Amino acid sequence: MIYLDNSATTKPCEAALLAMRGALETDWFNPSAAYGPAVRAEKKMTQARRALLEAAGAQSAELTFTGSGSEADSLAIVGSAERFHGARRVLIFGGEHPAVLNTREQLERLGHTVETFPARRDGVADLEKLAAALDENVGLVSCMQVNNETGAVQPVGEIARLIREKCPGALFHVDGVQGFLRVPLAFDQSGIDLYTCSGHKIHGPKGIGALIARKGVRLNPRIEGGGQEKGLRSGTENTAGIAGFAAAAQWLAAQPKRFETLRAAKLRLYARLRAEIPELRVNGPDPESGVAAPHILNLSLGVRGEVMLHALEAEGVYVGNGSACSTHKREMSAAFRAMNAGRQAAETAVRFSLGMMNTIEEMDAAADAVIRCYKTYAAFQRR
Amino acid sequence: MREILLVRFGEVYLKGLNRPLFMRALVDRVRHAAEPFGGHVWLKDSRIYVSDMNDTQACARRVAQVFGIHSVSIAKEMEKADFEAVCQAAIEMMADKSGSFKVRASRSDKKYPYDSPQINEIVGGRVLEANPNLHVDVKNPDYTLVVEIREKATLHIGRIEGAGGMPMGTAGKACLLLSGGIDSPVAGYMIARRGVRLMAVHFHSFPYTSERARDKVIELARILSTYCGKIDLFIVPFTEMQMKIHQHCPEEMTTLIMRRQMMRIAERLALRERAQALVTGESLGQVASQTMEAIASTDDVATLSIFRPLIGFDKIDIINYAEKIGTYETSSLPYEDCCTVFTPKHPLTRPKLEDVREGESRLGEEMETMLQACVDGAEKVIVEDGVLVKGPKPEGEAEG
Repeated sequence: MIYLDNSATTKPCEAALLAMRGALETDWFNPSAAYGPAVRAEKKMTQARRALLEAAGAQSAELTFTGSGSEADSLAIVGSAERFHGARRVLIFGGEHPAVLNTREQLERLGHTVETFPARRDGVADLEKLAAALDENVGLVSCMQVNNETGAVQPVGEIARLIREKCPGALFHVDGVQGFLRVPLAFDQSGIDLYTCSGHKIHGPKGIGALIARKGVRLNPRIEGGGQEKGLRSGTENTAGIAGFAAAAQWLAAQPKRFETLRAAKLRLYARLRAEIPELRVNGPDPESGVAAPHILNLSLGVRGEVMLHALEAEGVYVGNGSACSTHKREMSAAFRAMNAGRQAAETAVRFSLGMMNTIEEMDAAADAVIRCYKTYAAFQRR
Repeated sequence: MREILLVRFGEVYLKGLNRPLFMRALVDRVRHAAEPFGGHVWLKDSRIYVSDMNDTQACARRVAQVFGIHSVSIAKEMEKADFEAVCQAAIEMMADKSGSFKVRASRSDKKYPYDSPQINEIVGGRVLEANPNLHVDVKNPDYTLVVEIREKATLHIGRIEGAGGMPMGTAGKACLLLSGGIDSPVAGYMIARRGVRLMAVHFHSFPYTSERARDKVIELARILSTYCGKIDLFIVPFTEMQMKIHQHCPEEMTTLIMRRQMMRIAERLALRERAQALVTGESLGQVASQTMEAIASTDDVATLSIFRPLIGFDKIDIINYAEKIGTYETSSLPYEDCCTVFTPKHPLTRPKLEDVREGESRLGEEMETMLQACVDGAEKVIVEDGVLVKGPKPEGEAEG
C-alpha cells in the first residue's frame, strides 16, 4: 500500500500512539480534579500545550485545545466576530476550506458583511485585490496557510503587513491545518493573531485541534459548560488526543530536513509523471516554485479524477480526488473556483499529498502505477 | 384479556382450487414475519390471528408488510361469557378519545344472549356515560369500535393498511436488473408483491464506479429483502465489456449495445438460477434508452419475458413509491452507476434494429467470450429479511 492522501488524514506515528496509550492507561484522571494523579494529568497537558506552542514558534501566545481544526476555525472567526463593536467587514480568501467559508451565514447573522478575495491562476491569493479591499471597517481577515487542494502557499506574511498598514485594528486568522510543520512558520514574528492547527494531519490522532492566539485577542466561546480551557472551550479535556497531538508535533519537528525531504519526494513523482504523460497539467502553483507546498501535488491527467482514483486504488495506491472536498459532492471545489479553473481541469484532477512516512522508492512505484493506469484509461474518455 | 392481531387478506380469496396452496404460503409468510416478536400465528374462519407477541405495534407493522395481507388490526380478546368485561374493555379503549364514535357489533355465535343491535346500544351507552368528550355519530364517526362475538369476544378500533398483492413464492421467480437508481428497486418491489421471488443482477464497472456505488446497490437489495425475503444478488464485472463496446461500436449506440449485453448476461444468470422472467425499472420515454425503439432493441436479444412494471409511470410517481418502500434516500446517493459512464453525447433515440445489430456485430467473435466471462465472474451476495447474509469481497486491494 502506498498512501498518498495525507491531506485527508495521516497515519499516526509511533510517538503519538505511545503518548496516547500513556494518557489512557496511566494519566486517565480528570485534569480538573484536586488529587495527585489528576494534577499529574493536568501537568502532562500543560507540557503538551507548551510543546505545541514551541513547534509553532508561538512561545508568547496562548493555545486552546478544540475537538477539530474546523472547531478552532469557528472559535477564531465567529468567536472574535461576536465581540466586534458594531457591524464590520470580514474578508475571507475564496479558496478556503468549508470550515472557514461556511462561517459566512453566522457572521451575517451577527450583522457583519462577508466578502471573499480571489486567487491568481496559480491558486495563490491575489494580494492586489485584497489590498484594494482593505479599509478601516475591516474587522477580520482570514486566509489559509496552505491550500488543501492545490498546495498553494499563501503569502500570510505580506497579508499581515498589508493589514498593519491599512487596517491595524483588524484581526488576522490563518487556518494552518495543511501548513502546520510542513511550511516554516514563526507565529510570534508573523503578525498573525489567530492560527488553527489539527492533530490528524501531522501524524497525530483525529478529534483534536488547537487555536493559537496572540495574547490579548478576545474571543467568545463556541461551547459553554464547565469552563475548561480558560472558559474558551468547555468539556473535559481530550487528554489522550492532546498527548498524541503534541507527541506527533515533536516527532515531526525533530525530523531532519523535513521540508526538503517532502519536497524532493514530491518533485520526484512530478518529474516521472511529467516525462510520461503529455496531457499532464498542474492545478495550482508550479511544483518547483517557492509558493508550492512541499507535500501537495494536484495534477490533471486526462482521465476523470474519480476513475484514476479507483484505478490506482486497485494498484494499492491511495490518492485524493483533486477538486472535491468529499466524494459525496459533485460541484467544483472552492479552491478551483477561486483560481477560476475550468471544469475539464476540475474533473480530471487528482491530488497526491505526501506525509513524513513516504519514501522516494514509493514515489517511483506510485509513478509507475499512475502511468500504467493512464495508459489503460486515457483511451476511454468520452469522445 | 390479551392483545391479538386480526390479519385480513385480500385477493387470495379468489384463487379457487389453488386456494389451499395460497393460504399455506400466506400463513407461512405471516408466521415468518411474526417470528422475531415471538408471535403465535393461526388461521381460523378466513382470517389469520397473531397472539403472544412481545411488541404488538412493531409486530403489526411487520405483518402488514407481508405480501397478500389486506389489513391488520390490533384487538383486545376476552371470554365472551363475561359481558361486563367486554363493556369495561370498550370503556378503556375509548377513554383517551374525543369526538364522534359508533359501535359496530357482529356475532357469529347466534346463541349469544344479546344480538348485534343490542350490543351496539349497551356498549355505546356505557362508553358515552364514561367519557363526556365523546358523542355518537353512526353516519360518519371519527372512531368505529368494532365488537366481534365469535369463539371469543374481540374489540378493535381502526386498521393498518396492508401491502396487498399475493403471497411470496406463489408466482415463481424473476430476475431484477438492479442499477442503483430510483426506479429498479420500485420495479422489483412491484413484481415481488405479485407473489414473485426475486434474484437480482447488478453491473459493476470498477474503477469507473466505486466500492461505495456497489455497497449502495447491496443496501438497496437489503431494503428490498425486508419485503421479499431472500434475494441472491449477482454483481457482474462489466468494465471490460464496456470498454470493448466503447472501442469498437459507433458512439451514438454504445448505450443501446451495452443494454443488450446486460439483457443477455441477466438472462443467462436468470436461466442458470431458474428464474422465469426479467424485471427492469424502465419507464417509457424517461431517457434516450427508454424510447419505444430503444426498448425494442433490448427486447430483441432476450427470450425470457421482460416485465417493466413502471412503463407508464411518471418519475414523480416512482419517487413517491420509492419513498413509501424506503429506498429513495439510498437511491439518491450521488455515486456514479455504470449507465452514466461512457454516455454518448448524442445517443440515438429512434434506433433502427438492423443498425444496432450491425453496430454490435463489430464486437466480433470476442463478444461471446466476454459475455460468458461476465456470467462466470459474477459475484454472489445474499440478503435476507433485511440482513446481509453473505457480503462481497473487499475491493481495490492490491494483490499480495
